[in-house]
Amino acid sequence: MKAFQSFSSLRSSASPRCKKVRFLITLLMALLLGGCGPAPDQPTVGGNLPLSEALGGDTEGYARATEPREFEFPADHGPHPEFRTEWWYFTGNLADRRGERYGFQLTLFRNALAPEPLEGPSRWRTRQVYMAHLALTDVAGGRFVARERFARASLGLAGARAAPFRVWIEDWEVSGGEGRHPFPMTLQAGDNEDGIELTLTMEKAPILQGEAGLSQKSEAPGNASYYYSYSRLSASGRITIDGADREVDGNAWMDREWSTSALGPEQSGWDWFALQLGNGVDLMLYRLRLRDGSTDPASAGSLVSPEGERTALREEDFEVTVTRHWESPRGGRYPAGWRLQLPQQQLWLRVEPLLADQELDLSIRYWEGAVRVSGEHRGQPVSGYGYVELTGYAEAP
Amino acid sequence: MTRTLWLSGLRYHLRHRWQLVLAVVGIALGVAVVVAVDLANESARRAFALSMESISGRATHQIVGSPLGIDEALYASLRGEGLRPSAPVVEGFAESRGRTFRLLGLDPFSEPPFRSHISFLSRGEIDLNRLLTESGTVVISRSNVRDLGLGIGDPLELDIGGRQVVVSIAGTMDSDDRMERQALNGMLIADIATAQELLGMVGRLSHIDLILGPAEAETLRTRLPSGIDLQRSESRTQVMEQMTRAFSVNLTALSLLALLVGLFLIYNTMTFSVVQRRPLLGNLRGLGTSRREIFSLIAGEALLLGAVGTAIGIGVGIALAQGLLGLVTRTINDLYFVLNVTALAITPAALAKAVLLGLGATLAAAIAPALKATRTPPRLVTTRSREESRYRIVAPRAAAMGGIVMAVGALLLLYPSQALAPGFIALFLIILGFALAVPWVTGMMVSLLERLGRRRFGTPERLALRGVQASLSRTAVAIAALAVAVSVSIGMAVMVDSFRQTVHQWLQFTLQADIYISPGSAISARRSPPLLPEVISRVRQTSGVADLSTYRSLEVNSEFGPVQLQALHLNSQSRTGYRFQAEKPKRIWPAFERGAVLVSEPFAHRHRVVPGDRLNLDTEHGARTFPIAGIFYDYESDRGTVVMARAVYEQWFADQKVSGLGVYLEPGADVEQTMERLQSRVSDLQGVRIRSNRDLREASLAIFDRTFTITEVLRLLAVAVAFSGVFSALMALQLEKAREFAILRATGMTPGELWRLVTLQNGVMGLIAGLLALPPGLLLAAILIEVINRRAFGWTLWLQIPAEALIEGVLLAVAAALLAGLYPAHRLASSPPAAALREE
Repeated sequence: MKAFQSFSSLRSSASPRCKKVRFLITLLMALLLGGCGPAPDQPTVGGNLPLSEALGGDTEGYARATEPREFEFPADHGPHPEFRTEWWYFTGNLADRRGERYGFQLTLFRNALAPEPLEGPSRWRTRQVYMAHLALTDVAGGRFVARERFARASLGLAGARAAPFRVWIEDWEVSGGEGRHPFPMTLQAGDNEDGIELTLTMEKAPILQGEAGLSQKSEAPGNASYYYSYSRLSASGRITIDGADREVDGNAWMDREWSTSALGPEQSGWDWFALQLGNGVDLMLYRLRLRDGSTDPASAGSLVSPEGERTALREEDFEVTVTRHWESPRGGRYPAGWRLQLPQQQLWLRVEPLLADQELDLSIRYWEGAVRVSGEHRGQPVSGYGYVELTGYAEAP
Repeated sequence: MTRTLWLSGLRYHLRHRWQLVLAVVGIALGVAVVVAVDLANESARRAFALSMESISGRATHQIVGSPLGIDEALYASLRGEGLRPSAPVVEGFAESRGRTFRLLGLDPFSEPPFRSHISFLSRGEIDLNRLLTESGTVVISRSNVRDLGLGIGDPLELDIGGRQVVVSIAGTMDSDDRMERQALNGMLIADIATAQELLGMVGRLSHIDLILGPAEAETLRTRLPSGIDLQRSESRTQVMEQMTRAFSVNLTALSLLALLVGLFLIYNTMTFSVVQRRPLLGNLRGLGTSRREIFSLIAGEALLLGAVGTAIGIGVGIALAQGLLGLVTRTINDLYFVLNVTALAITPAALAKAVLLGLGATLAAAIAPALKATRTPPRLVTTRSREESRYRIVAPRAAAMGGIVMAVGALLLLYPSQALAPGFIALFLIILGFALAVPWVTGMMVSLLERLGRRRFGTPERLALRGVQASLSRTAVAIAALAVAVSVSIGMAVMVDSFRQTVHQWLQFTLQADIYISPGSAISARRSPPLLPEVISRVRQTSGVADLSTYRSLEVNSEFGPVQLQALHLNSQSRTGYRFQAEKPKRIWPAFERGAVLVSEPFAHRHRVVPGDRLNLDTEHGARTFPIAGIFYDYESDRGTVVMARAVYEQWFADQKVSGLGVYLEPGADVEQTMERLQSRVSDLQGVRIRSNRDLREASLAIFDRTFTITEVLRLLAVAVAFSGVFSALMALQLEKAREFAILRATGMTPGELWRLVTLQNGVMGLIAGLLALPPGLLLAAILIEVINRRAFGWTLWLQIPAEALIEGVLLAVAAALLAGLYPAHRLASSPPAAALREE
């Protein structure tokens, strides 16, 4: 579950909830085209926007994720244009030779503006639009940078392909081989000031999330995605922050997800965790929050053993307790420390951000950042790193 | 003392309020014309700069290519190399309901760094999804949508180069800034895909916007493929300013002429007031008023008059500017480029300039009379006869000085230069010199008349002539003002007429085809979109059609910036439509077919090229030089035109499009019938304009006349200023003579005779002014044609002296003088003589 609402808001306004959606579109347009932000009397995007508005809405004509499917690799690494949205999501925690910590997030989103291919002689006329977010965290330097890009999938400006694997927006590119698992994979994104150039190799085979890859996000049938993850990849290469290059290596995580609709109207956002422990265990959890502050029963997760065996986690299998909060200078109060309890797994973890302000102040505002994990697994102390994504908290200052 | 002094001045002017009012009117009109022209010019310039700004946004540079635009693949590859920020732009024009819109195709995803200052996007309502996914959707300004009575989702019918399309409104845009809102008006923004499809530019971009530092620009420039160029954003505005510079300078000069006439008026009024007050001034001096005080009195009065006149003039000028703005905009649209100007930009600078000019001119004009007043000897009651005899000494000196001034002007004209300003300064010097010579010449002419008519004239006639002679100190300035105004009027009329005749003759020989076909409702001749190939083949197959010549017009980058290129396929008949300077057509045409180009006279003038030079043009295959084979006469565009053979053009520009056709009929084919056949055969394909040779000629002349409307308006305004001057001078003069006339009445002159006397006197003065105006009028015309026009535009015009213009000028002067004398004559003739005699 990803920071996807921004993108989806480009979507048609022809839904019955047209008015609110249009409002969203207008605001996004302001950011997209205006670049100067909305008028002061209007709430910022990402503030109180019901995500469900963005993720619900007009699904007619698109394929839906209603039942489990056979995943085929490498074909499924490529795009699924019949679904409305799709993403290739990379996060990772890195360290340089001196042991300084860095985090990166590179996400490439695909979004269909219409269910059917558009007609017209102009090559610019396409329904597929790509967006990318790049966020870098320099823990020692206390620096966090976020960049975004948009391009339509025409004239080769942006696109995705299964084999040989490639997803790109202009000169930001993820590319790999032709095999079933497209590794080693190279990630290249950023500009002269801030960027990454990393090579990823597979440590564990992919796991299918949810029910054999069908990940239910809310009650209504079809409000689900197809979701698989490479929960542990090793990463090495270069990270550039403020114009200075550092040789780094560490671990990365890749998520692949496509859907047409996900959230229901009663949901307000999510807290998503992707954690890699020193003992080789990986943990993915998402907690869907309801408007009343409670946790949606559709919340779920996976525990992946060092051997790559997955244990599915249901909502009742884990408990997330917020221990601290952080006020965004741009408005909004975020959780900034958690206690995760998975009694059945004998897993107790404390999660804390490596840097407080890892809020992506892009066309849509959300928090996604590198975290440190420590705790106990089956009686043994464990520690590790991971990424947390928090949406639906941003508010107008 | 000072207070008394001022009161005496006030008292004097109150007793002569007609004079006062007319003087104020004169300054006001003069200032108004200057202000109006200035504001109209400035508004047009700002509107253009502003619309360019809102189009360019924050772009510092643009990648431009051949006239057909650039391949969109270049954009993709530059983006792939990480060239950011960059944004593709497709640009064109569309007409709807009598308005011209600039259609701008943008890629919303590349936009944020560029057009953020178009804050409409944050305030407007735009359905981006529709804009991106539905073809034929546009965004329009909120006030346009209101004016058109439309709403979001409504259809809007557009005419794009004769093609009728219906687009749908997917959103509106607005701005808080008044000028920016104006720039948004008349703009349609569409997704780049829609714009490419609407404008027939699929696969091409008009340009790519960039934000670059100087160093980056240089690096990029070397990386661009040949035929693709990097230019600074301002250069578009600069090109516009270059294009219209001559036009605005000419307008400004004309407006200054109106002010010059107003200047005479001030001088006249102030001189008159000094002359009339000589006894009073003499007494004041006797009572101890210093020269300095007298000077301040007169100068102060003038300044006050000037201030009031300037204030009124600014007000009137702003109102007048609204009207002129329409004319200026229309002329620019006819001649240069599409421009939407709705709001008048009233800049403090323009107003300050007007105040300075108005007050400065008034003061300058008042210095001589004020100095004269200070020379009044104390207590000496100078008789008017003394004043007159003094004047008779002064007049020849003034004439001699006038001669010198004119000579300086003439020398300035002879000085080889292409600059406009010296030309206009010379023009002003000659007019000024002429004005200085007027009193003396008038005196000579009256003496001559008197001598000639000594035997034949009756008493009123002789009295009238002597009256003119005897009051020259007061009338000469009025006559000079009238003569200046009339000579300017004659000069301009002769110039415009010569111009029109030249164009008329040029159209006669240059339009050789029987029928002309162009894309319908072309927004501007220079912006015409291509004819569909199907249309051309159908025309060719229409019965009665013997032959076609084709025409393709577009803008190409050259060493001189963008130039108008015409690619022509000419048959032997259409070739006879070209007349060349110097060279023999026999040698020119073969060279033309082999790849040489022809340039029009204004082009050769503007860029200083001669046959044999080489012209550098950016072709589809990179920069290429083309030899210039000849210079042809052409009055279509003051920017000049480059003509290239069709085959050569296709080779270098990879373009098959045709912008217009000349149709030659078979012998005996009926023009009207063929036109109807053509219309019915092609109307389902494309909206086209089919015009006969005669229609086109008339339409061209109509545009010509429209272009000179503004000149005509300015000419009339100058005459109006002069008229009020003459009116005030003559009226004051006649009223002043009330006592003299009363004596005449008392000694037996009938009211009828007195009427005749006054009318005759004014008539003579008008006639003299009119006749005097003829030679300088013609000289002015010659200067306008041979110097100003050549320097500004480079056209060869054949001076034609239309008798009507000359007669009209003289009649104008006489009528103005007669009209000005009507009221005083009436008053004098009808009042009992005793009243006037008793007055003093």
